[in-house]
Order: sequence, then C-alpha cells, then structure tokens
Amino acid sequence: MSRKVVQPPSLRIIPPLNFCPVEKQLYRSGQPLIINQSFLQDLNLKTIIWLASEEPQEEFLDYCSMNSINIEFVGMINDDYSYQNVNPWDSLNETTIKKALELICDRNNYPMLVCCGMGRHRTGTVIGCLRRLQGWNLASVSEEYRRFTGARGGRILVELLIEGFDISTVEIDPEKVPQWLGKRDK
Amino acid sequence: MADYDDEPFQMDEEVDLGSPERELSLTEEYFSRDGTYMEENDIRLASKPEPKGANSGLYKVSESVNDNPEELARLLAERLGKNPEKNGEESTEYDEDADDKLDIQKQKALENEFREKNIDLRAQEVTPPENFAPVINNIYRSSFPQIHSFSFLRTLKLKSILCLIPEEYPQMHKDFFEEEGIKLFQMGMSGNKEPFVKIPPDLVTEAVKVVLDPRNQPILIHCNRGKHRTGCLVGVIRRLQRWLLTIIFDEYRKFAAPKERPMDQQFIELYNETEIERYAHEHGLLPLQWDDEAGL
Repeated sequence: MSRKVVQPPSLRIIPPLNFCPVEKQLYRSGQPLIINQSFLQDLNLKTIIWLASEEPQEEFLDYCSMNSINIEFVGMINDDYSYQNVNPWDSLNETTIKKALELICDRNNYPMLVCCGMGRHRTGTVIGCLRRLQGWNLASVSEEYRRFTGARGGRILVELLIEGFDISTVEIDPEKVPQWLGKRDK
Repeated sequence: MADYDDEPFQMDEEVDLGSPERELSLTEEYFSRDGTYMEENDIRLASKPEPKGANSGLYKVSESVNDNPEELARLLAERLGKNPEKNGEESTEYDEDADDKLDIQKQKALENEFREKNIDLRAQEVTPPENFAPVINNIYRSSFPQIHSFSFLRTLKLKSILCLIPEEYPQMHKDFFEEEGIKLFQMGMSGNKEPFVKIPPDLVTEAVKVVLDPRNQPILIHCNRGKHRTGCLVGVIRRLQRWLLTIIFDEYRKFAAPKERPMDQQFIELYNETEIERYAHEHGLLPLQWDDEAGL
C-alpha cells in the first residue's frame, strides 16, 4: 500500500512555554527557544524584559540582536545596580519589580514580552504587581498567578511579595502609559 | 458489603447525600472500571463511600436490604428526598456536571443582594471574572461574568459577547449589556460529557465564525466556568493559528485545572478545521493578527 503525499506538511507554530497574552501587545512566557522563532516573529516584539538572574541562552541573545529587539536584563540587577550577588533562588526584590513595571508602563517599549526561565514565579511576580497597579483585587491576581505555576503550585512568598509591593512607588509618565492602564472610565 | 473503602467503584462525585462537596461536582463516570455500563441504581449502590461508622443508620439499611436492590434504591431515594432543596432537580440530571450548569438560583440571589443594597456597579473594585484572559488581539475569554465584574468588563469596551451556555441571562445582565450596547450571541452547547453528551462540532464552527468577525470585536467568550466549552473553542482558534497540539493542550489544562477532561482535548484534536479554515481564508482573516493597527 503506497501513500501519495498530496501536500507538504503544514507549518506548526510553537509558542514558548507558559505563553499567554497579558494585555494588548504585552505578553508573558518562559524562556523562548529556537523552535519558537516563527511564533515570536508574528509578535513583532520591540522589548523583552528578562527576569531570570542568569544569562539567557546564546541563541536567544543572537535572535534578539538579529531582530533588533531590546532586552532589558532587569532580573540581573542588584539593589545597588551592580550585576553581582544575584542568586537564582532569591525572589525578585522591590527594586527590580519597580524597574520592570516602569518599563511596562511606557508604551514606547511595545510590543513587549515579559519572561524568565519557566515563566512561572518571577514573571508571575511582575505581572501580579502590574495587576495590582491596574486595581485588580488580590484574589483575582492570585488566581492568575497560580494558573501559570504548574503542578507544584504557587509560592506563598511570591504572593506575599505581590501583596506587599507598594504600587505608589512606581513612577508613571501619564504621557507614555498604555491606554488600558490609563485613567479607567470617566 | 464488607469494606466500603475497597469497593472498586469509588465514585465519590456521585450524589453524596447533601454533603457540602456535592455542590461542586456531580458524577462524571457512568462506566465501571471494566467498561460495562451501569444502571443508575447500580451506581447508587456501588458508590456509597460512607465513612466508616459515620453513618451507622445507612449501614443497617444497606445490610438488611442487601439482596433487594430495589428496596435499597427506594430507601436511598427517600433519604435524598429529605434534602429537596439541595438534591432535588440536580440529582436526576445525571448528564450535567455542576460546572456545566449555570446556577440560576444563585444568580437570582446575587442579583437581589445587589438590588437591595443598591450597590453602585460603576464604583466596584476591579474584579475580572474567574479564568479571565486575553486570547488574541481583541478576543477575550472568561467564566460567567458576575455582577461584580461589570465595572471590569466596561474597561474592555466590548462590542459583543459570545455565550456558550443555554441558560438565559439574569435580568441585570441583560440590562447591563443593553446599556453598554453589547451585542449578544448565544450558542448554548452542552459540555463534553462521557459517554453520550458531546459538543457539536458544527456549532463550534459557527461560534468561531462569530468570534473571528472583526465587526464583533472586541468580543468576550464565556461559558459557565470558562474551563471546558470555552477551552474547546479557544483550542480551535489555536489550531487556526497552527499551534502545536501539545501547547494547545497545555493551555487548555491551565484553564481547566483541576477538572481537565480528556474528551475535550480529544475534541480539539479531532475537530475538522477544513470548513472554518476555508471560511477564514475567504474572508481574509488568516493569519490571525496579534495586534491591530489601533495602537495603544
């Protein structure tokens, strides 16, 4: 029995692990890999916020420079803005969250992807704080965070960080803020 | 009837004589492990995982009528009748999971509460509906939007809503949608329930047509819990985007957790997209765009 090939195998698009849209032109995911390239291409990214404490893979950096995507290594900065003594097992600190949020609040950086190694806890922390900035109630924030944390579930420490984060410290330029974050309704 | 813990059919989701958990979920299984179909009486008989010693009354009954299933069924029915408000209609509708059915009584109660207290819906805290997320561009998904989510919905500036449950909206919802000028599409379908009830693929195709139509966007897709029916529909949209099935399933499970249904995943895989793909091509809707020109 012979089978004729009538059409070429169709192209399959592979989003990065834990990928999900957050808001218009703002996305979240784990670390993108080579196989995600054709997917990323469609997003037309301008900025990637890298929240892990380690360097991303070489290919990923190459991909970004080839497509002139600006990577912000927010997760690798320390309190004193040195790039030292950041441990992968530490949670994000207030400074890094603040820095990430201020990048998110500038629509000139869009379309934007927020990611870390797996797209679970560090990404979840920043998106959680963003939701608080949007005025979401904490239960909804927690529900969203836990949706992306996988079988081992959410970390209380991350949720404490989200709840305790002082959103008033985030400096927002009203000229640059994306519409969905701007003044809500009249 | 020696040890109930060792019964092969631990269908503890079956009618549970009014314990609080029962409200969360009705039975999912109608086949015993060896694949034979079980009559409803058998299910009742086999699925009495009463905690030992907790309900000695029932034990005595079971033993005394051990040889007479009809008698036992009658007695059980009697017991069920003692909690009519909890067990009444739902326990007879064996093909509906609690998740699949909108609790109209609860909706009414909520509505009354809002009315009585005269709560200003515009001033509510920003509370997205459970399982809310953007799908792509101007398409959103969620569970049944509750009254307290109205102020959040307003921020989405929705043009239409696609509702996948057959139940009618409560009055307050209708008023809200009318006030906001939101167009309603109702395509009631039952969830994928083993073994007999299935999501009709043709209806899904029609639903996707509605969702993809730019004239209807921004659009919110919702069912009751935003898990199963909505998950299947979003799965079909992902297939149009040519996502790998593994990733589609992963997304489905994230939203359906902890009640993932293999049948739903099978539906997503087996769904024939020829028709909808042809339609989308003809109308220039493919490839689906991640963001429109409107900007931020």
